[in-house]
Amino acid sequence: MKNRIVSFTVNGEAREVAVAPNRSLLDALRTEAALTGTKKGCDVGECGSCTVIMDGRPVNSCLVLALEVEGSEITTVEGLQAADGRPHTLQECFMQCGAAQCGFCTPGILVAAKALLDENPAPTVDEIRFAIAGNICRCTGYTKIIDAISLAARPGAQS
Amino acid sequence: MKAATKTIVGTSVKRSDLLAKVTGDAKYVADMTLPGLLHARSKRSNIAHARILRIDTSRALALPGVKAVLTHENVPRVLHAGSPHPRSASVTCDQYILDDKVRYWGETVAVVAATSEEIAEAALDLIEVEYEALPAVFTVEDAVRPDAPQIHDREPGGNLVLPPVVVSRGDIERGFAEADFVIEGEYEGGRPTPAYMEPNACMCQWDGNGNLTVWISTQTAFMVRGIMAEVLGLPLHKVRVLVDHMGGGFGAKQDLFQSEFLCALLARQTRRPVRMEYTREETFLGGRTRHPVKIWLKQGFRKDGTLSARQARIVYNSGAYGSHGPGVTIVGTSAMTSLYRCENVQLEGRCVYTNSPIAGAFRGYGVVQTYYALDIQMDEAAVKLGMDPAELKLKNAVRAGDLAPSNHPLIGHGLEDCIQRGMQEVGWAALRRRARDAGGPQRRGWGMGCEMHGSSAYPGIKEQGNAIVKMNEDGTVVLLTGTAGLGTGAHTALAQIVAGELGLRFESVSVMHGDTDVVPWDIGAFASHTTYLGGRAAQLAAVEIKRQLFERAAKLLEAAPDDLESADGSITVRGSERSMTIRDAVAPRKGIPAAQFVGTATYHPTKSYSFAAHFVEVNVDIETGQITVLQVVPVHEIGKVIHPVAAAGQIEGGIQQGIGHTLYEDYQIDMRTGRSLNANFVDYKMPLSMDMPTIRTVILETAPDPGGPFGAKGVGEDPIVAIGPAIANAVYDAIGVRFRHYPIKPEQVLQALREKQSAIQSPEEEGVPA
Repeated sequence: MKNRIVSFTVNGEAREVAVAPNRSLLDALRTEAALTGTKKGCDVGECGSCTVIMDGRPVNSCLVLALEVEGSEITTVEGLQAADGRPHTLQECFMQCGAAQCGFCTPGILVAAKALLDENPAPTVDEIRFAIAGNICRCTGYTKIIDAISLAARPGAQS
Repeated sequence: MKAATKTIVGTSVKRSDLLAKVTGDAKYVADMTLPGLLHARSKRSNIAHARILRIDTSRALALPGVKAVLTHENVPRVLHAGSPHPRSASVTCDQYILDDKVRYWGETVAVVAATSEEIAEAALDLIEVEYEALPAVFTVEDAVRPDAPQIHDREPGGNLVLPPVVVSRGDIERGFAEADFVIEGEYEGGRPTPAYMEPNACMCQWDGNGNLTVWISTQTAFMVRGIMAEVLGLPLHKVRVLVDHMGGGFGAKQDLFQSEFLCALLARQTRRPVRMEYTREETFLGGRTRHPVKIWLKQGFRKDGTLSARQARIVYNSGAYGSHGPGVTIVGTSAMTSLYRCENVQLEGRCVYTNSPIAGAFRGYGVVQTYYALDIQMDEAAVKLGMDPAELKLKNAVRAGDLAPSNHPLIGHGLEDCIQRGMQEVGWAALRRRARDAGGPQRRGWGMGCEMHGSSAYPGIKEQGNAIVKMNEDGTVVLLTGTAGLGTGAHTALAQIVAGELGLRFESVSVMHGDTDVVPWDIGAFASHTTYLGGRAAQLAAVEIKRQLFERAAKLLEAAPDDLESADGSITVRGSERSMTIRDAVAPRKGIPAAQFVGTATYHPTKSYSFAAHFVEVNVDIETGQITVLQVVPVHEIGKVIHPVAAAGQIEGGIQQGIGHTLYEDYQIDMRTGRSLNANFVDYKMPLSMDMPTIRTVILETAPDPGGPFGAKGVGEDPIVAIGPAIANAVYDAIGVRFRHYPIKPEQVLQALREKQSAIQSPEEEGVPA
C-alpha cells in the first residue's frame, strides 16, 4: 500500500508523516513520530496502554487509523510535562504515591487521568475508577493509582 | 546515632525509576531500534500433538522483504532447559530451539525475519506445514494412563516430569489412629496466566567480531546469557545481555521462550539486527501459566482442634514442557508440611506432561495451589468443631522453632502475629457474632486465609547474591548489581540499603544494572529474594567500602577507625565534635588523585519465611451468582521494611492477581483439540479498576531475619497466596456453600445454591462441594 501524508499536531507540535493507510495511530506515533512513551500492550483495544488524547477525548490509539487524525490535536504522555520540563501534577502524584510499578501501563493511565481531570477537575473515586476502567494495570491493584489521581485533583495540588 | 541512616532504611523515598516511567522516557525493548532493523514473527502450530512431515518455506522466502526463514531443519539441535538455573533441580532439560515434533497447540514451528512486521506476518501464511497427527492428551488423568502417548522421550517416563516427590514426617498411620475425626476432600485449581503488561520482546545484534548483544525483557539476564551461549556454542564473553526497564514478569520471565535463540540466529544469518515482539495472543500461546492442579487432602484432628495427621496427593499439570515443573512440585508439596503444625505428614507431589499450554514459574510457585486446599480444609474443620476458623488457625499456626518446609527452624511468631492483628483490625469476634442477612438476594460474608512463603529458592537452588560498590571522588557511590528491576522498586531498595549502611544520603547512591558485561553475576529476580539476597550482598559490599573509607578518614581525623561513625554524608569521631564529610575524606589531596574505594561482596543465603493473614469481606448475589470482594485487610509480617510504599504496592498487586485467579482468570483450551479459547484480554477476565476492592494493608516487622539486610525478608509472592482461601472461606460464610476449586464462577455458585436447596432435607449436609 502506498504511503499517504497525514498532518496533525502532537503535543503542540505540527507534524507531517508519511504512513501506510493501514497503519494505526499507535504505530505512527511510535515509529514515524518516535514517541515510544505510548505503549503497545495488545494492539486490539483491550488494555488501554496506548491511550492518547485526541481532540480532548481519550482514545485507544491502536484502534485509530493514522489517516483519521488529519488535522487533529493529539496529546501523548510525552506532552504532559510543562514546557520547562517540570513534571505535570499527575506525574508528581504518581511518583509520590508509588502509583507506577513496572511502568508499562503508566503512560496510558496518566493520559486517561489527564483527560478526566481536564473535563472533571474534582472527580469522585467512582468517577476515577470509571475513567480508567479500560486501562489494565497488572502490578498495583489500582490502590495507589486511584490515590494518586485523587491527590492530583485535590484543590491546590496544581502548582 | 545514625538518625539519618534510620530514616533512609524504612522510608518511602521517591523511587529512582519512576521519573522515567511517568514521563514516557523509560525504554522497554520494543521501544528500541537499530539501523537496518528486521522484524521477526513466529508461525505457530494449529495442532496439539504431531510430527512435522514436511515444511515448505519457498513461497515465504520468495516474498519481497523476507530476509530469512528458520525451521527445525536449519537451526542447531541442542537439548536444553527452558529456564536454566545453574545446577538446579528446579527445571527440566526437555526442549529444542525448534523440533520436528509439536507438543501443544500454538507451538512455534518456523520464524520469519522481514523488513516490516506486516511482511513478516504475511510470510507466515506462505509457509506450508504438513503434520502427521499424534494422539493428544489434555488432562493429567489421560496422560498417566498406561497406553497414553508419550509426549517426551525422557526419564522417568509415563509422562511424568520428574519422579514423584515424597515428603514424610512422623508416622502417618499413628497420626490418623490418634485422630478424633478425619476430613478428606478434593481440591482443584485452574490455569491463570501472569498476563504481564509488556509482551515478551527481544532484539539481537551481532558485531563484526562475532559478539552477540541481546536486549530482552527478562528477570534473569545471566541465565539468558548462559543458556544462549551454551545453545549457540559461544563463550560467555561473546554474549552480552541488556535489560533496562521491563513491564512485569511475575515469575514467568525466568524462562526463555525459543524466540531469543531464533532472534539471534535470524540476526546472524541476515547480518542485520532483528527484533521480535510477541503479540498479546502469543503471550498466552507461547507464554507460561500457573500449573493447573488436583489435590486430594486428608487430615486427622483431635477434639481440641490440634492436628494429628496430614496426608496429600498433589498432581500438577505441566503442559507440554517441564519448565519449572520440578521446582513447583517440590516447593508446593513441601509447603504442606507447614503453615499449620502437624507432626505426622505424608505428601506426594507429581507433575505430568500434557499437550496443553506450558506451565512455568508464576508468583506463588506451587504454593498458591496447595495452601488453597490446606487453608480451606482448616475452615471446614472449624465448622465441624464448632470453632471460630481464625481461632483454629491461630491455635495451629507454626511458630519459632518449628521446622519450615525448607527444614530450617522458623524464626519468630510471624503467623500468629498476623492472625491476631487482623482479628483486631476487622473486629473479627464481633463479625463472627453478627446477625446474618437472610432476606434479599445480597449475602455478605467474612473469611480469612493464611500463608507463609520463603525468601530465596534455597534449598532447591543454591543461591548467591553479588554486589560491587564503587565510591567516586566526590563521595557519591555507584552500586553495581545484576538483579533485574521488574517494577517492584528493587533498585531503590538496594540503594537505600547502601546509603543506610554507608551513612550517605539516598541521592548520593546510583544503581548500575542490566548489563551482563558490567555488573556482577546475578541469579535473577525471583523467589521473593531480591531485597533479601541482593540487598544483603549490597549491604556487605557497603560494609567493605566503609571499612576502607574509615581507615583513610581515621588518619585525617586522628582517631581509630573503630571510633568513627557516619551519617547523612559525614563521618564523626564518636563522642566528639570532630567530623568531616565523606566527600572530603575521599577527595584528592596534595595533587594525589582521590582514593579508589571498591567494595565487593558475595552472599550465600539460606532461607527466611514471611507470613500473612488476609481478612476479606465478600458479597454474593444469590440471584446472579456474582461474587464481589468488598474489602481486604491483608496483614503481612516481612521483617524490616525497607520501603513501605513499595512493599504495600507488592501486597496490593498480589491481591489483585489473587482475586483474579480465585474468581475470574482461567486460560482455557478446547479439551478435544487443545486449541486455545481465550488468548486475549476480553475473554481472559482480570479484575480491573472497577472490580478492585478497598485494600487496607497492615505490615508488621515482628520477626526480622538476621540473614536479610537490616532484618528484611521478601514480600513479592506472599500476597497472592492467602487471598484465595480467604475469598472461598468468605463465600462459605455468606451462603453456606463450600467451594474447593478456583476460579469460582457465577454459574457454579447458582448451581451449588440449587443443589443446596434440593439437599435441604438431609440436615447433616454442611455444604455442597463444587
